[in-house]
Amino acid sequence: MRDIKMEDYDMLVKINDERDIVVARQMVKDFAKRMGFSLADITKISTAVSELARNIFRYAGSGFIYIRENTGEEKEIEIAAVDKGPGIENVEAAVEAGFTTSKGSLGLGLSGVRRLMDSFFIESEVNRGTVVIVTKRRRTF
Amino acid sequence: MKQKIVNNMDILLEELHKITGRKAKWEEFLVSFMESYDSDAYEKKMRDSLANLVEEFKLSDIARGLDRIGEKIEGFPAGEVLRQVLQVADHALEEKNMVIKELKEVLAELATPTIRIWKDVVVAPLIGTLDSERAQSMAERLLEFVADTRAKVVIVDVTGVPLIDTIVGGFLIEMFNAVKLLGCEVVITGIKPSIAHTLVKLGVDFNMVTVKRDLESGLRYAISITEKEGKGAV
Repeated sequence: MRDIKMEDYDMLVKINDERDIVVARQMVKDFAKRMGFSLADITKISTAVSELARNIFRYAGSGFIYIRENTGEEKEIEIAAVDKGPGIENVEAAVEAGFTTSKGSLGLGLSGVRRLMDSFFIESEVNRGTVVIVTKRRRTF
Repeated sequence: MKQKIVNNMDILLEELHKITGRKAKWEEFLVSFMESYDSDAYEKKMRDSLANLVEEFKLSDIARGLDRIGEKIEGFPAGEVLRQVLQVADHALEEKNMVIKELKEVLAELATPTIRIWKDVVVAPLIGTLDSERAQSMAERLLEFVADTRAKVVIVDVTGVPLIDTIVGGFLIEMFNAVKLLGCEVVITGIKPSIAHTLVKLGVDFNMVTVKRDLESGLRYAISITEKEGKGAV
Protein backbone atom coordinates (compact mmCIF):
# COMPACT_ATOMS: atom_id res chain seq x y z
CA MET A 1 0.00 0.00 0.00
CA ARG A 2 1.19 3.47 -0.80
CA ASP A 3 2.39 5.38 2.22
CA ILE A 4 0.80 8.81 2.56
CA LYS A 5 2.76 11.16 4.79
CA MET A 6 1.16 14.14 6.41
CA GLU A 7 4.21 16.36 5.94
CA ASP A 8 4.01 15.98 2.15
CA TYR A 9 0.60 17.65 2.07
CA ASP A 10 -0.66 21.18 2.67
CA MET A 11 -3.92 20.33 4.32
CA LEU A 12 -5.54 17.48 6.20
CA VAL A 13 -9.17 16.83 7.07
CA LYS A 14 -10.20 14.03 9.38
CA ILE A 15 -13.42 12.29 8.41
CA ASN A 16 -15.29 11.02 11.43
CA ASP A 17 -18.94 11.75 10.87
CA GLU A 18 -21.32 13.09 8.29
CA ARG A 19 -20.63 16.71 9.12
CA ASP A 20 -16.94 16.25 8.33
CA ILE A 21 -17.90 15.60 4.71
CA VAL A 22 -19.21 19.14 4.49
CA VAL A 23 -16.08 20.45 6.21
CA ALA A 24 -13.79 18.60 3.77
CA ARG A 25 -15.77 19.91 0.83
CA GLN A 26 -15.64 23.47 2.10
CA MET A 27 -11.90 23.36 2.75
CA VAL A 28 -11.04 21.92 -0.64
CA LYS A 29 -13.30 24.48 -2.26
CA ASP A 30 -11.40 27.34 -0.60
CA PHE A 31 -8.10 25.68 -1.48
CA ALA A 32 -9.03 25.32 -5.15
CA LYS A 33 -10.35 28.86 -5.23
CA ARG A 34 -7.03 30.18 -3.92
CA MET A 35 -5.21 28.15 -6.57
CA GLY A 36 -7.23 29.96 -9.22
CA PHE A 37 -9.43 27.18 -10.59
CA SER A 38 -12.49 28.12 -12.63
CA LEU A 39 -15.88 27.91 -10.95
CA ALA A 40 -16.83 24.83 -12.98
CA ASP A 41 -13.63 23.06 -11.93
CA ILE A 42 -14.04 24.09 -8.30
CA THR A 43 -17.49 22.50 -8.33
CA LYS A 44 -16.10 19.33 -9.88
CA ILE A 45 -13.24 19.10 -7.40
CA SER A 46 -15.44 19.67 -4.37
CA THR A 47 -17.99 17.17 -5.68
CA ALA A 48 -15.20 14.60 -6.09
CA VAL A 49 -14.04 15.25 -2.51
CA SER A 50 -17.62 14.94 -1.34
CA GLU A 51 -17.83 11.48 -2.94
CA LEU A 52 -14.48 10.35 -1.55
CA ALA A 53 -15.26 11.60 1.95
CA ARG A 54 -18.68 9.96 1.76
CA ASN A 55 -17.08 6.64 0.85
CA ILE A 56 -14.69 6.92 3.79
CA PHE A 57 -17.51 7.69 6.20
CA ARG A 58 -19.84 5.04 4.83
CA TYR A 59 -17.50 2.10 4.39
CA ALA A 60 -14.52 2.69 6.67
CA GLY A 61 -16.11 4.82 9.38
CA SER A 62 -13.16 7.16 9.58
CA GLY A 63 -10.16 8.27 7.57
CA PHE A 64 -8.36 11.28 6.15
CA ILE A 65 -8.49 13.59 3.16
CA TYR A 66 -5.11 15.10 2.22
CA ILE A 67 -4.82 18.08 -0.08
CA ARG A 68 -1.81 19.66 -1.76
CA GLU A 69 -0.79 21.87 -4.63
CA ASN A 70 1.62 20.37 -7.15
CA THR A 71 3.68 22.91 -9.00
CA GLY A 72 5.25 21.76 -12.21
CA GLU A 73 4.75 22.86 -15.74
CA GLU A 74 1.09 23.17 -14.92
CA LYS A 75 -0.33 23.80 -11.48
CA GLU A 76 -2.46 20.94 -10.22
CA ILE A 77 -4.39 20.04 -7.11
CA GLU A 78 -3.82 16.62 -5.62
CA ILE A 79 -6.23 14.98 -3.22
CA ALA A 80 -5.61 11.73 -1.37
CA ALA A 81 -8.39 9.90 0.46
CA VAL A 82 -6.98 7.37 2.90
CA ASP A 83 -8.70 4.95 5.23
CA LYS A 84 -7.92 1.80 7.15
CA GLY A 85 -11.32 0.29 6.49
CA PRO A 86 -12.43 -3.06 5.08
CA GLY A 87 -10.87 -2.43 1.67
CA ILE A 88 -12.37 -3.21 -1.73
CA GLU A 89 -12.39 -6.78 -2.99
CA ASN A 90 -12.72 -6.08 -6.68
CA VAL A 91 -11.25 -2.67 -7.38
CA GLU A 92 -11.87 -2.87 -11.11
CA ALA A 93 -15.60 -3.44 -10.62
CA ALA A 94 -15.83 -0.74 -7.95
CA VAL A 95 -14.76 2.00 -10.34
CA GLU A 96 -17.33 0.93 -12.95
CA ALA A 97 -20.50 3.01 -13.11
CA GLY A 98 -23.44 1.31 -11.44
CA PHE A 99 -21.41 -0.72 -8.96
CA THR A 100 -22.57 -0.46 -5.37
CA THR A 101 -22.65 -2.60 -2.26
CA SER A 102 -25.15 -0.46 -0.39
CA LYS A 103 -28.86 -0.19 -0.92
CA GLY A 104 -30.29 3.06 -2.18
CA SER A 105 -27.02 4.26 -3.63
CA LEU A 106 -26.59 5.13 -7.27
CA GLY A 107 -23.19 3.44 -7.50
CA LEU A 108 -21.80 6.36 -9.44
CA GLY A 109 -19.39 7.63 -6.79
CA LEU A 110 -15.97 6.29 -7.75
CA SER A 111 -16.64 6.18 -11.48
CA GLY A 112 -17.93 9.73 -11.22
CA VAL A 113 -14.82 10.87 -9.37
CA ARG A 114 -12.68 9.35 -12.11
CA ARG A 115 -14.56 11.30 -14.76
CA LEU A 116 -14.56 14.53 -12.77
CA MET A 117 -10.79 14.56 -12.27
CA ASP A 118 -7.82 14.34 -14.64
CA SER A 119 -5.95 11.48 -13.03
CA PHE A 120 -7.23 8.71 -10.81
CA PHE A 121 -5.25 6.21 -8.78
CA ILE A 122 -6.71 3.60 -6.46
CA GLU A 123 -5.11 0.96 -4.32
CA SER A 124 -6.96 -1.25 -1.91
CA GLU A 125 -6.28 -4.29 0.20
CA VAL A 126 -9.02 -6.27 1.89
CA ASN A 127 -9.01 -5.62 5.65
CA ARG A 128 -6.17 -3.12 5.35
CA GLY A 129 -7.77 -0.12 3.75
CA THR A 130 -8.01 1.99 0.65
CA VAL A 131 -6.02 4.84 -0.87
CA VAL A 132 -7.48 6.97 -3.63
CA ILE A 133 -5.34 9.72 -5.18
CA VAL A 134 -6.78 12.12 -7.72
CA THR A 135 -5.43 15.23 -9.39
CA LYS A 136 -6.82 18.01 -11.51
CA ARG A 137 -4.76 20.43 -13.62
CA ARG A 138 -5.50 24.10 -13.63
CA ARG A 139 -6.25 25.09 -17.15
CA THR A 140 -5.07 28.50 -18.22
CA PHE A 141 -6.86 30.09 -21.08
CA MET B 1 -16.78 18.32 60.14
CA LYS B 2 -18.73 21.54 59.62
CA GLN B 3 -16.49 23.31 62.12
CA LYS B 4 -13.48 21.99 60.30
CA ILE B 5 -14.68 23.38 56.99
CA VAL B 6 -15.37 26.77 58.58
CA ASN B 7 -11.89 26.83 60.14
CA ASN B 8 -10.16 25.83 56.93
CA MET B 9 -12.39 27.80 54.58
CA ASP B 10 -9.76 30.33 53.52
CA ILE B 11 -7.05 27.75 52.90
CA LEU B 12 -9.50 25.54 51.03
CA LEU B 13 -10.71 28.33 48.81
CA GLU B 14 -7.11 29.30 48.06
CA GLU B 15 -6.39 25.75 46.92
CA LEU B 16 -9.57 25.56 44.88
CA HIS B 17 -8.75 28.88 43.33
CA LYS B 18 -5.48 27.40 42.09
CA ILE B 19 -7.32 24.59 40.32
CA THR B 20 -10.16 26.43 38.68
CA GLY B 21 -9.16 30.08 38.84
CA ARG B 22 -12.37 31.04 40.61
CA LYS B 23 -13.56 30.67 44.17
CA ALA B 24 -16.95 32.34 44.51
CA LYS B 25 -18.81 29.27 43.21
CA TRP B 26 -16.80 26.97 45.46
CA GLU B 27 -17.62 29.12 48.45
CA GLU B 28 -21.31 28.92 47.62
CA PHE B 29 -20.99 25.17 47.30
CA LEU B 30 -19.20 24.73 50.63
CA VAL B 31 -21.66 26.96 52.45
CA SER B 32 -24.69 25.15 51.09
CA PHE B 33 -22.98 21.82 51.84
CA MET B 34 -22.53 22.79 55.46
CA GLU B 35 -26.02 24.21 55.74
CA SER B 36 -27.77 21.19 54.33
CA TYR B 37 -25.51 18.33 55.45
CA ASP B 38 -27.48 15.85 57.58
CA SER B 39 -30.73 17.62 56.77
CA ASP B 40 -33.64 16.37 54.67
CA ALA B 41 -33.07 18.93 51.97
CA TYR B 42 -29.49 17.76 51.45
CA GLU B 43 -29.96 15.99 48.10
CA LYS B 44 -31.93 18.80 46.55
CA LYS B 45 -29.72 21.59 47.87
CA MET B 46 -26.62 19.82 46.68
CA ARG B 47 -28.11 19.29 43.25
CA ASP B 48 -28.69 23.02 42.85
CA SER B 49 -25.26 24.12 43.98
CA LEU B 50 -23.53 21.35 42.02
CA ALA B 51 -25.41 22.40 38.90
CA ASN B 52 -23.78 25.79 39.40
CA LEU B 53 -20.34 24.20 39.58
CA VAL B 54 -20.93 22.01 36.53
CA GLU B 55 -22.04 25.00 34.53
CA GLU B 56 -18.92 26.92 35.45
CA PHE B 57 -16.04 24.40 35.57
CA LYS B 58 -14.71 21.41 33.72
CA LEU B 59 -15.71 18.06 35.26
CA SER B 60 -12.07 17.03 35.68
CA ASP B 61 -11.39 20.23 37.65
CA ILE B 62 -14.40 19.66 39.87
CA ALA B 63 -13.16 16.12 40.60
CA ARG B 64 -9.73 17.45 41.52
CA GLY B 65 -11.28 20.13 43.70
CA LEU B 66 -13.43 17.61 45.56
CA ASP B 67 -10.39 15.38 46.07
CA ARG B 68 -8.52 18.31 47.55
CA ILE B 69 -11.38 19.07 49.94
CA GLY B 70 -11.46 15.39 50.89
CA GLU B 71 -7.74 15.48 51.72
CA LYS B 72 -8.07 18.54 53.92
CA ILE B 73 -11.35 17.75 55.64
CA GLU B 74 -11.61 14.41 57.36
CA GLY B 75 -14.96 12.71 56.75
CA PHE B 76 -15.86 14.78 53.69
CA PRO B 77 -17.78 12.42 51.39
CA ALA B 78 -15.84 13.27 48.22
CA GLY B 79 -16.87 10.08 46.42
CA GLU B 80 -20.51 10.58 47.28
CA VAL B 81 -20.48 14.18 46.09
CA LEU B 82 -18.64 13.21 42.92
CA ARG B 83 -21.36 10.69 42.16
CA GLN B 84 -23.89 13.50 42.50
CA VAL B 85 -21.78 15.70 40.24
CA LEU B 86 -21.92 13.04 37.54
CA GLN B 87 -25.68 12.77 37.91
CA VAL B 88 -26.05 16.50 37.57
CA ALA B 89 -23.69 16.62 34.58
CA ASP B 90 -25.57 13.76 32.95
CA HIS B 91 -28.78 15.66 33.33
CA ALA B 92 -27.27 18.87 31.95
CA LEU B 93 -25.87 17.00 28.94
CA GLU B 94 -29.23 15.42 28.25
CA GLU B 95 -30.87 18.81 28.29
CA LYS B 96 -28.28 20.19 25.89
CA ASN B 97 -28.78 17.28 23.50
CA MET B 98 -32.51 17.90 23.58
CA VAL B 99 -31.96 21.55 22.66
CA ILE B 100 -29.68 20.56 19.77
CA LYS B 101 -32.25 18.08 18.52
CA GLU B 102 -35.01 20.64 18.70
CA LEU B 103 -32.90 23.21 16.88
CA LYS B 104 -32.16 20.70 14.15
CA GLU B 105 -35.85 20.09 13.67
CA VAL B 106 -36.53 23.81 13.55
CA LEU B 107 -33.75 24.22 11.01
CA ALA B 108 -35.08 21.43 8.82
CA GLU B 109 -38.48 23.09 8.75
CA LEU B 110 -37.10 26.54 8.14
CA ALA B 111 -34.83 25.41 5.37
CA THR B 112 -37.44 23.57 3.34
CA PRO B 113 -40.58 25.58 2.89
CA THR B 114 -43.28 24.25 0.60
CA ILE B 115 -45.49 26.85 -1.05
CA ARG B 116 -48.72 26.51 -2.95
CA ILE B 117 -48.00 29.16 -5.54
CA TRP B 118 -50.83 28.59 -8.02
CA LYS B 119 -53.89 26.41 -8.29
CA ASP B 120 -52.55 22.84 -8.36
CA VAL B 121 -48.93 24.03 -8.41
CA VAL B 122 -46.53 23.65 -5.46
CA VAL B 123 -43.03 25.11 -5.21
CA ALA B 124 -40.32 23.54 -3.02
CA PRO B 125 -37.14 25.61 -3.03
CA LEU B 126 -34.14 23.69 -1.68
CA ILE B 127 -31.56 25.72 0.19
CA GLY B 128 -28.13 24.84 1.53
CA THR B 129 -26.36 21.57 2.12
CA LEU B 130 -28.48 18.46 2.28
CA ASP B 131 -27.43 15.71 4.65
CA SER B 132 -29.27 12.40 4.78
CA GLU B 133 -31.37 13.37 7.80
CA ARG B 134 -32.55 16.65 6.34
CA ALA B 135 -33.15 15.06 2.96
CA GLN B 136 -35.34 12.43 4.60
CA SER B 137 -37.51 14.86 6.54
CA MET B 138 -37.82 17.11 3.51
CA ALA B 139 -39.00 14.30 1.25
CA GLU B 140 -41.57 13.22 3.81
CA ARG B 141 -42.95 16.71 4.22
CA LEU B 142 -43.11 17.37 0.51
CA LEU B 143 -44.98 14.11 -0.14
CA GLU B 144 -47.49 14.90 2.62
CA PHE B 145 -47.99 18.40 1.29
CA VAL B 146 -48.56 17.14 -2.26
CA ALA B 147 -51.07 14.59 -1.04
CA ASP B 148 -52.90 17.13 1.13
CA THR B 149 -53.15 19.86 -1.49
CA ARG B 150 -53.84 17.43 -4.36
CA ALA B 151 -51.30 19.39 -6.37
CA LYS B 152 -50.76 18.38 -9.99
CA VAL B 153 -47.29 19.85 -10.43
CA VAL B 154 -44.38 20.25 -8.02
CA ILE B 155 -41.58 22.62 -8.95
CA VAL B 156 -38.35 21.74 -7.13
CA ASP B 157 -35.98 24.68 -7.32
CA VAL B 158 -32.31 23.95 -6.60
CA THR B 159 -30.94 27.48 -7.06
CA GLY B 160 -29.90 27.50 -3.40
CA VAL B 161 -28.06 24.18 -3.47
CA PRO B 162 -24.29 24.74 -3.77
CA LEU B 163 -23.38 21.23 -4.86
CA ILE B 164 -25.12 18.07 -6.04
CA ASP B 165 -23.12 14.87 -5.56
CA THR B 166 -24.35 11.34 -6.12
CA ILE B 167 -25.93 11.24 -2.66
CA VAL B 168 -27.98 14.38 -3.11
CA GLY B 169 -28.68 13.38 -6.73
CA GLY B 170 -29.82 9.94 -5.65
CA PHE B 171 -32.03 11.44 -2.98
CA LEU B 172 -33.63 13.83 -5.48
CA ILE B 173 -34.31 11.00 -7.94
CA GLU B 174 -35.95 8.96 -5.19
CA MET B 175 -38.07 11.90 -4.12
CA PHE B 176 -39.11 12.67 -7.72
CA ASN B 177 -40.17 9.08 -8.31
CA ALA B 178 -42.20 9.08 -5.10
CA VAL B 179 -43.95 12.33 -6.03
CA LYS B 180 -44.78 10.92 -9.46
CA LEU B 181 -46.35 7.90 -7.79
CA LEU B 182 -48.82 10.34 -6.22
CA GLY B 183 -49.90 11.31 -9.73
CA CYS B 184 -48.05 14.60 -9.66
CA GLU B 185 -45.70 16.01 -12.28
CA VAL B 186 -42.24 17.19 -11.21
CA VAL B 187 -40.38 20.12 -12.69
CA ILE B 188 -36.81 20.82 -11.59
CA THR B 189 -35.44 24.33 -12.01
CA GLY B 190 -32.37 26.37 -11.20
CA ILE B 191 -29.51 23.99 -12.01
CA LYS B 192 -26.35 26.09 -12.22
CA PRO B 193 -23.96 25.65 -15.19
CA SER B 194 -21.15 24.29 -13.02
CA ILE B 195 -23.52 21.79 -11.41
CA ALA B 196 -24.89 20.78 -14.82
CA HIS B 197 -21.40 19.87 -15.97
CA THR B 198 -20.68 17.96 -12.78
CA LEU B 199 -23.94 16.01 -13.00
CA VAL B 200 -23.14 14.91 -16.55
CA LYS B 201 -19.68 13.75 -15.47
CA LEU B 202 -21.13 11.90 -12.51
CA GLY B 203 -23.75 10.25 -14.69
CA VAL B 204 -26.66 11.47 -12.56
CA ASP B 205 -29.65 11.67 -14.86
CA PHE B 206 -32.92 13.50 -14.12
CA ASN B 207 -34.67 12.06 -17.18
CA MET B 208 -37.79 11.15 -15.21
CA VAL B 209 -38.73 14.79 -14.76
CA THR B 210 -39.05 17.97 -16.76
CA VAL B 211 -36.15 20.36 -16.47
CA LYS B 212 -36.67 24.11 -16.85
CA ARG B 213 -34.08 26.84 -16.73
CA ASP B 214 -35.41 28.89 -13.84
CA LEU B 215 -38.38 29.25 -11.54
CA GLU B 216 -40.09 31.63 -13.93
CA SER B 217 -40.11 29.26 -16.89
CA GLY B 218 -40.88 26.36 -14.56
CA LEU B 219 -43.95 28.17 -13.27
CA ARG B 220 -45.05 29.18 -16.77
CA TYR B 221 -44.80 25.55 -17.87
CA ALA B 222 -46.61 24.24 -14.78
CA ILE B 223 -49.49 26.67 -15.22
CA SER B 224 -49.79 25.87 -18.91
CA ILE B 225 -50.15 22.13 -18.33
CA THR B 226 -52.58 22.47 -15.41
CA GLU B 227 -54.79 24.86 -17.38
CA LYS B 228 -54.81 22.57 -20.38
CA GLU B 229 -55.90 19.69 -18.15
CA GLY B 230 -58.62 21.84 -16.62
CA LYS B 231 -60.06 22.75 -20.05
CA GLY B 232 -59.90 19.17 -21.25
CA ALA B 233 -62.01 18.04 -18.32
CA VAL B 234 -64.87 20.41 -19.12
